[in-house]
Formats: sequence, structure tokens, C-alpha cells
Amino acid sequence: MSGAGTIAAPGGIETLPDKQRVFILSLVFMGLAHLTLLKQYVKGALFALCELVFICFLPAIVGKISDLITLGTPTPELLITQRDNSVFMLIDGIMILAVIAVFAALYYISARSAKNECRAIYANGKFPPKRSAVQTLTGSAFPVAALTPAFILIVFFVIVPLIFSACVAFTNYSSPDHIPPSNTVDWVGLDNFVFMFGGDNIWSGALFRVTIWTVIWAALATFTCYFGGMAMAVVMRDSKLKVTGLFRAIFILPYAVPAAISLMVWRNLLNGSFGTINQTLMQLGLIKDAIPWLSDPLLAQVMVIIINLWAGFPYFMLLVTGAMTAVPNDCYEAASIDGASKWQVFRHVTLPQVLYQTAPLIIMSFTHNINNFGAIWFLTAGYPAVSDSTLTSARGTDILVSWIYNLTVISLKYNYAAVLAVMIFVALAPFAIMNFRRTKSFKEGAI
Amino acid sequence: MVVGNKWVKTFNTVLLLVFFTIIALTVLYPLVYVVVGAFTPGNSIAGMDVIPFASGFTLDHFVYLFTRSEYPHWFANTLFIAVLTCAGTLFVASISAYVFSRFRFTFKKPMLMSLLILQIFPSFVGMIAIYVILYRIGGLNTHWGLILVYLAGNTPYNIWLVKSYMDSIPKSLDEAARIDGASHFKVYRSIILPIAKPILVFLTITSFVGPWMDYIFPKMVLRDPSMQTLALGLFSFVTERNNDFTNFAAGALLIAIPFVIFFTITQKMLVTSLGGAAVKE
Repeated sequence: MSGAGTIAAPGGIETLPDKQRVFILSLVFMGLAHLTLLKQYVKGALFALCELVFICFLPAIVGKISDLITLGTPTPELLITQRDNSVFMLIDGIMILAVIAVFAALYYISARSAKNECRAIYANGKFPPKRSAVQTLTGSAFPVAALTPAFILIVFFVIVPLIFSACVAFTNYSSPDHIPPSNTVDWVGLDNFVFMFGGDNIWSGALFRVTIWTVIWAALATFTCYFGGMAMAVVMRDSKLKVTGLFRAIFILPYAVPAAISLMVWRNLLNGSFGTINQTLMQLGLIKDAIPWLSDPLLAQVMVIIINLWAGFPYFMLLVTGAMTAVPNDCYEAASIDGASKWQVFRHVTLPQVLYQTAPLIIMSFTHNINNFGAIWFLTAGYPAVSDSTLTSARGTDILVSWIYNLTVISLKYNYAAVLAVMIFVALAPFAIMNFRRTKSFKEGAI
Repeated sequence: MVVGNKWVKTFNTVLLLVFFTIIALTVLYPLVYVVVGAFTPGNSIAGMDVIPFASGFTLDHFVYLFTRSEYPHWFANTLFIAVLTCAGTLFVASISAYVFSRFRFTFKKPMLMSLLILQIFPSFVGMIAIYVILYRIGGLNTHWGLILVYLAGNTPYNIWLVKSYMDSIPKSLDEAARIDGASHFKVYRSIILPIAKPILVFLTITSFVGPWMDYIFPKMVLRDPSMQTLALGLFSFVTERNNDFTNFAAGALLIAIPFVIFFTITQKMLVTSLGGAAVKE
């Protein structure tokens, strides 16, 4: 650091790069400032290579973008294989947009890097020695290389599909008239939203019905499992029975058996016409006619929540058991000295402490249940049908995500499915952001 | 007075015992019928006597599964997919989490933020696009296509999970190693990974279990019956058209047993990391 402030370096006089020119050159062409003024040849060459590759592909990129805008023109006179495939155009266009975004980010990174290098040179009063330049490169190569697999996976299998879904919400991609490759798809603006939220009465009615049921389902599923699990945990802790351990082992079973299997078993046991439960009740003489457990819309909804409690309480039982061990023993001792009853101890010591510790998990569980496709699919598959089911493909116990599945797989109304996906996104994003702001690293300003 | 207390105590004990027994019976009820179904002659659940084992005993369903159905294939496929998904998840999530936890770089905050928002979506919301992308890279009806989908779908959440854990590992440890001349990869491999073992074990379990019971993506990606996975195969036994409960039960029993054993063993550890992962943040 002794050389700071002096311009003369041992090897002779070096002129420091002009800040203004570094800035302008770094904006004119990626890596240009690194190559000419900052003497960082490897880094500069890599940046420049990125830009060259990008420029070579520019014509193709422009073509794909224009396809994205038009989504192809209908050409009924051609063979089906030769017609414009709007879906491929849409997806290629989105991938190209992702590539452009990455390129823009690189550009920004290179300009920033030039600025930082320049500042470092001024601070030291000289160019860094060769060796340290190579070291910086290998140093920064590690994080880039390490993040690449995750980055590629997430961009192509998570972000592009989600953006595709969001885009489809603004097109008429649906059966029967707009399914590529025989027909093209067009942008229709907000038509689908207008249609779903206030157009056709049957569709809007179904949307309203399914949304309400999704919220009720998620709230009740979370609530019952949480408090069911907590009750079991508390009772078992206070229990002086010698066989408590055996019971605990039994109670964990629903968590251990894969939910898909146990739900499919319940679905058979509860079957209205040949299910074991109805047969048992009839042979015992308790009922005369079969109870339509899963074929009456309201009863099916109740059963979905009850069976979910069966499958879900062990998880929270284990969790609350864990959380209770973290409650300091002093609290219990103080309470017992004050002569608190069992209920008072639970109400004023255990409950607040456990709630405080597990609150984030309750929120997570709620958002998970909003999207809990499996819990519905394996038990009822969304059935029973209700009056609008033939048209909308939304059945009595369908939640929004299983309706999306039906719309996509059965009735091929991709545009409406996409509207629902956008709706879920808008409704759930605040939860995610709230969770993010709560995290320690965010609060401490570490990121 | 003392006698009264004793009575109350006995009464409470009996009450508790009755309560536990009722719940235990409810919990066991469907599981008993899996075992019963697996060994009962006949096909449909309708033909089964409601009293366990009253309609006889047979091993035919297991013979059927292994000789006349694709069950062994389904099992091998699922195992293969689960193992590779698990290995890939461990690597991708841990190394990315390490970078997010230890490096400062441009766009770090927006990237973390988007990971968090992305993880709230079940991957099948983008199903059509995933289908088309797999079609274009030749990944349809292949196992690696399915593995890529699983790997990508859970990565955002897993990176967060592991990053939160790694944030709690003191930075002085890796700084000391860096000063001693260890490379970034060496620090990651020999310092961070061993300390982060609890969360990695948790990740191993969750990412290994996932593929066993997923239905949507295998259904979308895999066409040939011999390529399919267990969930798909077992589900095909008990659809609306096909009521083959006994064979289903036999197949289900064979998967459920290792899972039960495994979860009973790892139960304690799972709870600690389960709670720790979310509570810690």
C-alpha cells in the first residue's frame, strides 16, 4: 500500500485509465474497456466473446421475437406439419427472451466490473500485478460455475414454463378451435380474465365456488391437522401411561405410509356401493342404505378434510413435540409453584410458546394446502360431479390446482387454466414475500 | 378425600386409555385392510368379507405382481429415478446454497427473491410448457426427462433451505481455511458439507421420497407401461373402470413396509431437522 498516491511504478511510468473513457467503452461493447484500458485480457475476451456470439445469432433472435408477437399466421392450405405451430413459437420466443435477459444482465455485470476495476486501480495508484488478475478470475469462476446447473435448470424448467403459463392466459389457446398444429393461437388481451371473472355466468360461478372451497379447504386442513397434532402431543406428554410409547409408534404410521397409498385405500374403503365401511355398517345393522361418502358433494368435502386430518396430524404431532422440548423447564416450574392447573399451564405457557415457534410452519402449511393436489386427487379425483361439471370440468371437491389439471388434461382449455395459475400466483406471492422479509438474513441486511 | 383422588386418577387413566385406543384403531383401520387385501383371494374390494381374513388366505397377488404385471419394472424405474433425483438435488442445492451463503455478487438479492417466489408454485402449473420443452430436447418417454423435471421443480425451495442452514455456520471457519490456501471447492467439500450434514440428510429423505408417490409428471412424461413408475402402476389397479383392490393392496404393502421401517428409525432426526429447518431461518 506504500505506493498509493504515486503514479510511478517500478517498471516505469504507467498512465492510469481515464474513468470517463472506461465507462463509455464498457457500454459500447462488452469487455472493450477490459481489453483496451484495464489490461484484463482474459476477462475482457470472455465478455467480448459473449457479445460476438449474441450478435451472430441476432437475425435468428429477431425472427423468433417476431414469431412471438404474431404467433404465426393461419395457413389452412398447407399440410398440418408445414403450418405455423403457435405453441412452439410462444415457447421459443420466451426462451429467447430469457436469453436476452441473461445477456442484458451480463452487459450490466461487465460494465459494473469495469467500473469497479477502474476504481481499484485508482485506489492503488497502479494496475494490479498479473498474478492477482488471474486469481480474481479463478476466484470468480467458482461461483459462476457452481450456480450454472441450478440456473439452467430453473430457467428452463421453472421460469420459462411459468412465464409460458402466464402468457397463455392472454391467448385463445384452447379446444376445439385453437389447438396447434392444425390451427394457430392468437393474443386476445384480457378477454379470458373478463370471461372468467364476469362474463359467462356458469364459468364465473364455478370459479367462485372452487375458490371459496380452496380457501376453506386450506384453512380447515391446516387448522385441524395443527390443533389435532398439538392436542395429541400435549396429551401424550402429560400421560403417565406405560404404553404411551406404543401408542406414539402407532400414531406416526399415517406419516410413514406414503399418503398416495393411504388415500387410495381410503377411497376404496369409502366407496359408496362396495366400500368396506358401508358394508360393515350395514352388516352391523346401523344403516339401511349405503351412505354416499364420496359421491355427495357436501359429504365428500367433509370427508376430504377428515381423511386429511387422519393423514396429516402425525406431522404436527411430531413437530409440536419437538417444539415443546424447547420450552424452558423454568416456565413449567414457575407455573406449578403458582398453582396453575393443567389447562392453565397449557393455555398460558405451552400454547403461546409453541405457537410462536411454529407460526412460520403454519403459514407454509396453509400455502402448501392451497396447492395440495395429491390430497384431493388420490382420494376423490375431484369428484363428485356437480351441475356445471360437464361444461367447466370443475367437480365438487376440486380445488384450484386440480381444476387446472382437469382443464389442461381433460378439456384442453389451456387459456382458462392459465388464468387460474395467474390468480394463484397473485394470491400467494404476498405470503412468499412476507416469509422472505421475516428471515434472519434479510433482517440483518446480509443480502 | 384421598380415596376420592385415587378414584379420579383411575378414572382419568381409563379415560386416556380409551381415548388413545379409539384413535389408534382409527389410525390402523385402513392400514389393516391393506394387509387384509394383500392376502385375500379375489379381485375386488366388494368381494372381501368385512371381517379380516374371513374370506381365506392367498399369496396369489404377490405372484401376480411379479410374474404377470410390470410391477418389478415399476419398482426398478422408481428406484432409479428416486436415487438420481436425490443425488442431483443434493449436489445442485448444496453447491448453489454455498455460493448464495458465502459470496457477494451482482443480482444476488433479486435472485434469492425470485427463488422464494418460484417455490410457491407446484411445477405442474407450467405442465404444457415442460411437455413441449421435453418434446423438443427428446426427453419424452425417458427417465432422465422426468429426473430433470423433479430436479428443477424442487431446486428453488431446496436452495433456500440449505442456504438458511449454511448461514448459521460461522464464516470464520471457511475464512481460516481460505487463508491456509484452500480453494473454494475445497472449503465447500471439506468444511461446509460435513457441518451441513443434518440439513443434507433431511434433503436426501425428502427428495428420495417425492418420486415414489408423484402421479402427474410420470403420467405426462412416460408412455410405455414398462417405463412407468409405481404410483402410476398402482393407481391403474384402482381406477373407475378397474377395481383390482387386492393386487393394489399387495403392491402397496410392499412399498409401505420399507417406508414404515425407515420412518420409524429416522423419526427423531427428521423431527429435529424438520422443525429446525423452518424455525431457524
